[in-house]
Amino acid sequence: MKKLFNIASFILLGIYFAIVLTEAQAISWYRIQEMFYFKSFHMYGLLGSAIATGALSLWIIKKFNIQSVKHNPIVVKDKPFEWKANFVGGIIFGLGWGLTGACSAPLFISLGINWKIGILLLIGALLGTYLYGILKDKLPH
Amino acid sequence: MKNEPLAWYIAGPLIGLIVPLLLILKEKQFGISSSYRFFISGLTKKPGYFNYKREQDAWQFYFVIGLILTGVMYGVNGYDLNALKTTVVGFGGGDVIHYVSTVGFYDLSNWAIFLFGGILIGFGSRYSNGCTAGHCIMGMSQFSKTSLIATIGFFIGGLITTYFIIPFLR
Repeated sequence: MKKLFNIASFILLGIYFAIVLTEAQAISWYRIQEMFYFKSFHMYGLLGSAIATGALSLWIIKKFNIQSVKHNPIVVKDKPFEWKANFVGGIIFGLGWGLTGACSAPLFISLGINWKIGILLLIGALLGTYLYGILKDKLPH
Repeated sequence: MKNEPLAWYIAGPLIGLIVPLLLILKEKQFGISSSYRFFISGLTKKPGYFNYKREQDAWQFYFVIGLILTGVMYGVNGYDLNALKTTVVGFGGGDVIHYVSTVGFYDLSNWAIFLFGGILIGFGSRYSNGCTAGHCIMGMSQFSKTSLIATIGFFIGGLITTYFIIPFLR
């Protein structure tokens, strides 16, 4: 029962996130194109205010020592600094983002809206992930 | 269907709120693309990258289920991914935009774009160790150098496809 509640809570958070992204049209290739053509402030405002809200939340959590609902201290870890991987991988991800208009969350939301298109994106993403698994040790990090 | 998006100054903070929500309610740092690794590791443990403590990423799988379910809800209510084709065109140039404004980008004739783009998304997000969720939103909120570098990469890649690849596809 506890496990079920745990799973349900993540699903609900996913639903929350997906509704906001979809209503903001951030899942749309058209909005992403518009962003890369600098034709609208919408996506920049969206990302900027999301980051500002996230940063402010982290500051408040730290400042007031806010604990989790399980009364544990909240620890925020930094991802390892591997600039070659972060940068080159980032460019490759960006190529896919620009091409399809989808980053990871929109990819899954699109899968729900139009499974024929979504499944192509997902199969691609899983192939790409597998390819990375194969090449990982040969790539600069 | 309405074509006006939820205003950025409302939607943006709501997106950012996912960071404290996940931390306070679930003690998790926001991210999504680790779910790809989780999926593959359920199928195979080779190469070694997929032989890891996959339970740590299980929550992203559940989160993703929520994303898909939401998509289904929009889908059955007739949500059209191409709804913006007549409103958000007129930017950029070239034949692709003309093509898109008539047929729409979300068309199965573009299957190769979706598949190949998907490969880049999967490969790139694992190589850079995060996507727009983990780097752009979570990492940038932490002022992480790692995520700043990745985010700059995301935009360089996006600009390259937008100006140098998509206009030549059709």
